[in-house]
Amino acid sequence: MLRLLDLSYNYKGEPRPALIGFTAEAAEGMVTALLGPNGAGKSTALGIAAGWRRPGSGRLERDGQAAFLPQMERLVFAFSCLEYVSFGRAPHLPYLGTPGGRDREIAADALRKVGMIDKRDKPITALSGGELQLVRLARALAQEAAWTVLDEPSDMLDPGHVAQVSSVLRGIAESGGGVLLSTHDLGFALAVADRAVLVKGGRSVASGPCSELVTPEAMGELYGQRFGWAKLPWPTH
Amino acid sequence: MRSDGTGGPVVGASRRLWLAAAALVLAAAAALLFGRYPKPGFMDLRVLADDPVALRVLLLIRAPRVLAALLLGATLGAAGCAFQLIFANPLVDAGFLGVSQGASLGAALALVAGSGGAALFGAAFAGALAALGLSVFLAGRLRFGGSVLRLVLAGIAVSAFFSAAVALVKYGADPRNELPDISYWMMGGLSRSSWEQLGLAAGPALVALAALVAARWRITLLSLDEATAASLGARPGLERALALGLAAAGVAAVTAMAGTVSWIGIIVPHAARLILRSEGAATIPGSALLGAAFAVVADAIARGLFAGELPLGVVTALLGTAVFVALLASQRLRLGRA
Repeated sequence: MLRLLDLSYNYKGEPRPALIGFTAEAAEGMVTALLGPNGAGKSTALGIAAGWRRPGSGRLERDGQAAFLPQMERLVFAFSCLEYVSFGRAPHLPYLGTPGGRDREIAADALRKVGMIDKRDKPITALSGGELQLVRLARALAQEAAWTVLDEPSDMLDPGHVAQVSSVLRGIAESGGGVLLSTHDLGFALAVADRAVLVKGGRSVASGPCSELVTPEAMGELYGQRFGWAKLPWPTH
Repeated sequence: MRSDGTGGPVVGASRRLWLAAAALVLAAAAALLFGRYPKPGFMDLRVLADDPVALRVLLLIRAPRVLAALLLGATLGAAGCAFQLIFANPLVDAGFLGVSQGASLGAALALVAGSGGAALFGAAFAGALAALGLSVFLAGRLRFGGSVLRLVLAGIAVSAFFSAAVALVKYGADPRNELPDISYWMMGGLSRSSWEQLGLAAGPALVALAALVAARWRITLLSLDEATAASLGARPGLERALALGLAAAGVAAVTAMAGTVSWIGIIVPHAARLILRSEGAATIPGSALLGAAFAVVADAIARGLFAGELPLGVVTALLGTAVFVALLASQRLRLGRA
């Protein structure tokens, strides 16, 4: 399990706390999505879940390590895709170790799982946004962590890449891993997530099965905007 | 094609590293024979048999000087590459945290006090470490930005402060002898090289060099953003400070030995990326090899091409800017997405 218990968090210089009494949980074998308006505290909660931020009060309980994909990643150097994915092996290596043959095999397998194996020697700076996101996912897979924590993994991606990301995340959950993510894309949430946690004003206001929580009424209340149902085309496999 | 996870295609990067090492050995051997004794150009080895002065020139003057150039170039190259990775910025070098200016102030004060030799080296080394320490201390006091931005801002402030202090010392220096001494020291050069000078710098510089090469993959990982590096088990703030401290201490030692030799730390890592066809961890040893070769060749030009010696810092700056502009013009220099 991954439990965020009664968390509070204040950013330096910000008068308003980002999280107040935030409580949520996620289970292995499932995809859990945090939904809520901008500034609700989703990214902060994910940062704490990944172990990157330390909560002001409250605590994190997590079985196993977490691989983390922050929303933004500035890449300056043109590592090859395989080289970049190999960074995922860092927690498994001694401090001054370098990836060996076995690590490269695991990294190549991860690239294969996200459908990017043919780009293994391509510089990471030459990828499209969608391809880069898949390679970042491969890095998380190569880390072989119990948890994968992702901040807006479908952001800026075209529908084809969103579907590929969804299928990789479903694959992680179906093989027993835990996935915790945030998203503004309700269609993506409905397609990928088993459970949802609604976040507003630094608190978690509801949680439950995603398909039951994502209703026009609940979304209307969450985002302060009237919603109706629309049917959108969704890629099938 | 296979890839080694440290530097692009495995055959490519490691074979190219060996080729660079071979080229370096050849360059060093050629530099040892190149000079103005007994006549300008390459020394004929047969001279050594019947000219004892030639042997002394080779062993007591050229050998320490070539080794000093190797140490200087390797340290500046590897440290520059580490700085570029850690700052995730291909336009910084190891002078970035005030190290060069700190060394200059130490040297200027020692020269005004009439010291030379070990005292001059010690003062310059202490000045460089003082500037580095002040930059790191100041970065810790800043209350905004990530660890990298704080170091950049602190480095700018400390560099400017030490430059002003050097200007003040120069202003008060005796214009007949002290002022030219300070100016020549700051132009950089290995004309004072001796086995003693080399012995002083070699310890800290070799420790730094070995540590940077050993930690090459870890340092490359630190070029990823803070949250990503942390999620991979790194402690980015601490590890960056350690690696920067190490790199800067190496640069402090060679700067104390040779004065300010600019451009090697910036241009060599770019050349290493182009030659290795990789931007991964292999670029740190690659930059050390290439930096050493560049410094040895530049120093041979500085001391052997004309009857009078040119300052090495001027030669590296001239060559460095020429290479930099040529790379920019040929669009082979990629400066990230900045």
